[in-house]
Order: sequence, then C-alpha cells, then structure tokens
Amino acid sequence: MSDSKKTPAGIDPRGPRFGASITAVLLLTTVFLALDAGSTGAAFTLLLIVTALFAIGAILGNSKHPYGLIFKKFVRPRLAAPKELEDPRPPKFAQLVGLIVAGAGVVLHLAGVPNAIAIFAGMAFVAAFLNAAFNFCLGCQMYVGLQRLGLIRKF
Amino acid sequence: MTLETKLLVVFGLLALATAAGLVWRAKTGRAKAVAGGDVIDLAEIAATKDGKPVTKFGNKVTFLQFSSEFCTMCRQTAKLYSELEKAHDDVLHIEVDITDRLDLANKFNILQTPTTLVLDSKGRITSRIAGAVKTQTIKEELGSFDI
Repeated sequence: MSDSKKTPAGIDPRGPRFGASITAVLLLTTVFLALDAGSTGAAFTLLLIVTALFAIGAILGNSKHPYGLIFKKFVRPRLAAPKELEDPRPPKFAQLVGLIVAGAGVVLHLAGVPNAIAIFAGMAFVAAFLNAAFNFCLGCQMYVGLQRLGLIRKF
Repeated sequence: MTLETKLLVVFGLLALATAAGLVWRAKTGRAKAVAGGDVIDLAEIAATKDGKPVTKFGNKVTFLQFSSEFCTMCRQTAKLYSELEKAHDDVLHIEVDITDRLDLANKFNILQTPTTLVLDSKGRITSRIAGAVKTQTIKEELGSFDI
C-alpha cells in the first residue's frame, strides 16, 4: 500500500533535529523568563516568535523554515552526506503540534490565565527536546491516536 | 522568584525531559508476547506487496507492520524487515498503511506507528512490537521461531 503512494522528495533528517535543538533552547529560555513577573513581557515576545516559526514550519515545511535555510547553508556543507533521506511530512506534522501548543500558550496568556506561558512553553520544550536529543517523532506517536479519537481527519 | 528557584525549575524540566526520553528509548521497539492471539484475516487486512495482494503467510514467521503517513520510523523499520526477508526464506514482511484504515487501527488498538504484529506460520499473533523495532528484538523473535 505504502509503496504505491506518491511520497514527496526526501529531506536530510538532521535538518529538523537541528531546528528542534534551537526551538528547545528558545522555549526553555521562555520558561525561565516567564517565571519572573519582571520579564513576562520578554517571555511573551519570545513565545510569539517561536509560535510564528512553528506556523512557518507547519504551513511551508522545513525546507522554507529559517532554521532549515540556516541548516542548508551553514551546517549541511560541513557534514557528510546523509545515509538516507526522510519524508518531510512527519516533521511538518510535528511543527503543527508545536504551533497548537505554543499558540495555546499565547492565547491563554492574553486571556489572563496565570502561568500560561511557562506551562505551554514547558510542554512544547519537552517535545522539541525529545525530538532533538532522542529522535522522538511526534507524528509516529500521536497521529494515529489523535485520528482514532476523532480529533484530526486526514489532511 | 529567586534566581535559584528559577534555575531549579529550568534544570528540573530538563532532567524530567531527559528521564522521559531515556524511558521511552528503553521501552520502544521491544516485543511483548501475546497469549492466545487472534488469527489474522489477510483478506480483511487487504495488504499488497509489489502491487499484488498478499494471500499467504510466511513459512515460519510473518512481520505485519502497521505504518502511517506521518511516520519517520516506519521507513527505517520497514527497511530492517525487508533485509530480514531477503536473508531468510521463511520470513515474510507485510506493511499496511493505516492512515486510511481507521478500522484496523481500532481493531488492533494501534496507538503509535510503526506497530508490528509477529505472526506464526498459521497467521496467529504471537507478539506485538510497538515503535521502531530494535535489531535485538528481531534476533529474539527469530530465535523463538528457530530461525
């Protein structure tokens, strides 16, 4: 079945993991800043930026994402060729999950929910960190489960 | 909040995520024995291989792999099983994309992909492997079928 389906051109699997590392650092910084009333504004700005970056990844995909471009221009030339290429759809799905979680933090903070930034940035951090450090793939773990719960339809 | 408390929260989160990652890595891709498993109905699964419907199980063992579209690990796992199939005549690998087969996902209670059902020569489920299969797991499974 899967061999009969058309799959888009492959990407270097290290690209999304490189991006996830930067995202993880930004999100952990967001959590740190959100813990102090004095720097909540900075935390919110940072979370807005991360959310916007997730939106780019979720809509345009990794290859058009700023981190993807940085990876292609500066990192990949220094690495050996990848052993195999990866389907770009799973990382795109992970970006969408990131967008929903980080976006929820932004919206709930604006709605006045206390600690919304720290909590949602913290959750998104765990996912980004697992992706970067353990090659954890959100699409593998969640897609079928969410579909079975009726939360997502095939898109 | 004092700087110490903030750093404690940040490093605590980092430690928690690392612990979660280590637990996940240790558990994923291992086989769980299934006692009194069902017999797979190949017609219901409607799997194809090289464009043709699959009508027979492997002589000794079949690895029935459920995959989905948004799954990087599925490809790697499929590659491992295909190599295995080439090396052993008695092994069959079947891959089914369940992105459009929610009925199968529900029937076999699949929560993540890849999930592999290991079947004996009669198509009875003997064990279940959730996540990207480990080479060690494959060795142990083959051993249990005297391969």
